[in-house]
Amino acid sequence: MIIGQWEARLRRVVTYAAALAFGLVMIAPFAFMVSTAFKPHAYVLEIPPQLIPEQPTLDNFVRAWSSGDFGRYFFNSLFVTVLSTALSVSLAAMLGFTFARYEFPGRRVLFGALLFTMMVPGMLLLIPQFIVARDLGLINTLWGLIIVYSVMNLGLNTFLMRGVYAAMPQELFDAGSVDGAGPWRAFRSIALPLSKPGLATVAIFSWLLAWDEFTWAITILADQDLYTLPIGIRNLQVAQQTEWGLVFAASLMALAPVLVLFVVLQKQFVSGAFVGATKG
Amino acid sequence: MIAIDRKRLAALVAMPLALALALGGVAVGQSEAMEPDESVTGTVTFWNGYGADGDEITTFRNEVLPAFQALYPNVTVETQEIPYDDLRQKLVTGIAGGVLPDVLRADIIWVPEFADQGALMALDEEMGDFDDIAAQVFPGPLSTNKWGEHYYGLPLDTNTRIIFANDAVLEAAGVTELPGTVEEFEAMLATVQAALGPDVYGYAEGGTGGWNVLPWIWSFGGAITDPELTTASGYLNGEGTVAAVTKLKEWLDAGLMSPSILGGGTATSDQFGNGQTATVLEGPWMPSIFANQFPELGFSYMPVPAGPGGSQSVVGGEDIVVFSTTQNKDAALAFVRHMLSEESQLAMGKVGQMPVLASLVGHPDLPDYYPTFMGQLGNGNARTPVPDWPAIDEAIANAVLKSLRGDMEVQAALDEAAGIVDGLLSS
Amino acid sequence: MGTSRRYWARPWRRPSHVPVGGTTLEPLGSRLRRLLPIYGLLLPGLLLFGIWAAYPMARSFLMSFTDWRLMGESTFVGLDNYTRAVTDPAFHRALVATVGYTAVTVAGQLLLGLGAALLLNERIHGRSLLRLVYYLPVISSWVIVSLIFVWLYNGQTGVLNWLLNDVLGIIDKNVAWLAEPSTALWAIALLGIWKGVGWTMVVYLAGLQTVPEELHEAAAIDGAGTRARFRNVTLPFLRTTTTFLLVVLTIGGFSTFIPIFVMSTAATGQIGGPLNSTEVALTYTWKQAFGGGLDFAYASALSFLVAAVVALISILELRFARAQGQP
Repeated sequence: MIIGQWEARLRRVVTYAAALAFGLVMIAPFAFMVSTAFKPHAYVLEIPPQLIPEQPTLDNFVRAWSSGDFGRYFFNSLFVTVLSTALSVSLAAMLGFTFARYEFPGRRVLFGALLFTMMVPGMLLLIPQFIVARDLGLINTLWGLIIVYSVMNLGLNTFLMRGVYAAMPQELFDAGSVDGAGPWRAFRSIALPLSKPGLATVAIFSWLLAWDEFTWAITILADQDLYTLPIGIRNLQVAQQTEWGLVFAASLMALAPVLVLFVVLQKQFVSGAFVGATKG
Repeated sequence: MIAIDRKRLAALVAMPLALALALGGVAVGQSEAMEPDESVTGTVTFWNGYGADGDEITTFRNEVLPAFQALYPNVTVETQEIPYDDLRQKLVTGIAGGVLPDVLRADIIWVPEFADQGALMALDEEMGDFDDIAAQVFPGPLSTNKWGEHYYGLPLDTNTRIIFANDAVLEAAGVTELPGTVEEFEAMLATVQAALGPDVYGYAEGGTGGWNVLPWIWSFGGAITDPELTTASGYLNGEGTVAAVTKLKEWLDAGLMSPSILGGGTATSDQFGNGQTATVLEGPWMPSIFANQFPELGFSYMPVPAGPGGSQSVVGGEDIVVFSTTQNKDAALAFVRHMLSEESQLAMGKVGQMPVLASLVGHPDLPDYYPTFMGQLGNGNARTPVPDWPAIDEAIANAVLKSLRGDMEVQAALDEAAGIVDGLLSS
Repeated sequence: MGTSRRYWARPWRRPSHVPVGGTTLEPLGSRLRRLLPIYGLLLPGLLLFGIWAAYPMARSFLMSFTDWRLMGESTFVGLDNYTRAVTDPAFHRALVATVGYTAVTVAGQLLLGLGAALLLNERIHGRSLLRLVYYLPVISSWVIVSLIFVWLYNGQTGVLNWLLNDVLGIIDKNVAWLAEPSTALWAIALLGIWKGVGWTMVVYLAGLQTVPEELHEAAAIDGAGTRARFRNVTLPFLRTTTTFLLVVLTIGGFSTFIPIFVMSTAATGQIGGPLNSTEVALTYTWKQAFGGGLDFAYASALSFLVAAVVALISILELRFARAQGQP
């Protein structure tokens, strides 16, 4: 049965309507968050809920920013996130490449170990990691955050990059090497440039992890000057008496950079990111 | 404005005043009599949960700290504000990793736990003037520092819960006098419901944990354990406790009390500010918060309604403790003394941190709502000071919740909880 | 070379410079020369991994066989912690709750993610904008979205109650979603699904791109309707993707901590939620370590048991997928 013109149109409409409805459900919570951020406290929990605030105010944003040096927290988060992302991507790429294209003693064991760590809850490691950090003098430093964040998702990131590099045809490497180029050259000159979408994926995962991470940060940071954004937001949340407007305003400010990043990178992210995943 | 029973208020204020007068004695660490002490050196790291935003931390940094620095110019103080919920986790990892502050402003319920683990310094042994200081603070808060044979800290600030009454709501309902006994309180609830219900309640509570329900349990003559902290049977499931929980259930079922006690609802302070409830039980930090969030709100205070057990409320607050791992003992102890000086207590007292010094009762510089709180503190009970308190709290909360929801009969639910707590106390 | 039996190693092909028959025939010198740069590439990553993951994990594993005290000496107690864990009824309940939570969130994400992917695979207006919108929850922090949903789920003045009660009339009384033992965990699961659907959708979208257009057209010409085409043409190509998602989402479900922690404490003040109904494996473990008791050794034992369970389930899922016959 060939689909007729009417049916095709109907199909389009239904699809569009469904997609739109679903989109509304996805975005509704955020809409409420944005709306509440602009409301004074007395209007935060009113029925029926008003999406457009009756008495909009920027008060919450001002208070959130000025309480305890929000700008500094922003910078700290940025510093930690950029560096740990760079480190994550480099490590995952190097490891993934080597696991994908070379045979060496211990390959299976090491890769299995990496995968296994994906399954162990991170909470468990808090204290032993703290002790290691103390021994290495990394307590109360932003480097303590950077290094640990880089390692946190290493299992998943390596798995992804491994998939990406394994999917590359051998001919690429044969063609590139005249006398059998070493692994490093193969990696740098051939594999790495071709794996940009995969790298972007890992970069985004790592970015999100570092930007939002809280537990480890609050554990090892002692100086308030070093606090990161999640700690700053959490500081505004008081049990049982949460000032929703304030919390949501701060959350919005923390969400903004991630949003911008995603909009800018989304094409790369979506297009080739999961090639490795689907083939792996 | 509701007529306050002045006689009752006066009586409640007089008691601790009388106590203070009887004690007399020298106030702790009067700084006008002290010269700067240059012999004490070192760095004191102080962790607290004052919150990043608010008057408490501002006062601390701008008044209390500089005063200390003036007295001890060779001591450096490094302070860190950590949100309360995470302070505990950070402490535990710190203890394990050997990275700890010297001094901590600890929630009173943590002290037995950490003392039990050997993390805290026994102040009654290390401070020569411990007994002097101890004599000048309220006995209830002081008792929260005791574990075994020793005292592992000193009270720093205290608080309790008393009834806040929403003037506008009560006026609209036609209530003219604040209730003093449980019967009068119940009558008030009925009046409010008849006039303004069903969306406006007479009383709202936020949960069923110890902090929430113990004032009622104690005022009805109930208890959690025996005074020696060995058993809960006969106490947690005793007559008084059962009566208290049954009464709460009656109120809930009749629509006299807000359903927020079951959890997941609007914060009681928000209900209060929005005129959805006539009364709540709240602490001394609320007036300044109300002033910020609900500037138009008018309210009055009264003690917990008196039942068969009198008018009892629950003691909260913070103790100041020193870790046994400190390398700066003298500096740390000097800091502790300073925090307990009249000046510091007064300064922090003005911004909602109720002082623990009995000598400051009725001080003119303190907020005018303190007397009621301090009066209630005279009848304040600490929650069971054992390391397993969180588990006990959970048992109580679950039992009361089941009773209120009707999942179990009150007596049966409390029997179950008593069994659990017996097990915890004996281990 | 033969078919590799390991799923994840399948696409590897022997590099041409490695001799068939294994490397044991290589002389030591040239072997070292070959391996050195390889290990060189591995070194930084593995070094950090060793210090920050492997070593702490090993240490934690050892700790689980002792009665570790916060300060002072700890003594060896053998399998005591593990025996205790296996016979702990609260832990069993937590595991059951975790399995339930995971099952619901995985199913929800897979079904809705596939649905969304199918929708957005069509050429409709504003497709990229919609894709961005669907992905918004994925890139938001768990803490932030948990707080938003706590606000939404408010039992007296929350938006959900307003919607279901006042507007649609589906329920007749406001429900305290996060404080009601029968709904609390599922309310949190709903958040889990909402947050993850966008990611699943993106993965499926990539998978759908691999379905050759010609097959669709051929099937259409043969007279296959939409449903039949989906079943016979699209679905087989999605098997690998689905398996991958199944495993990753399962691990994610078991590792869920922040939303359950934040929402349970926000609504009821207790980590376990109302009457311990939201107690899952990880929050129960956290409670042992940080929530009073300070029993880290027990918490370690619990964590490793949970990891073992997750590993087992993942392997079962992979076996099941293999049995279905993958391309």
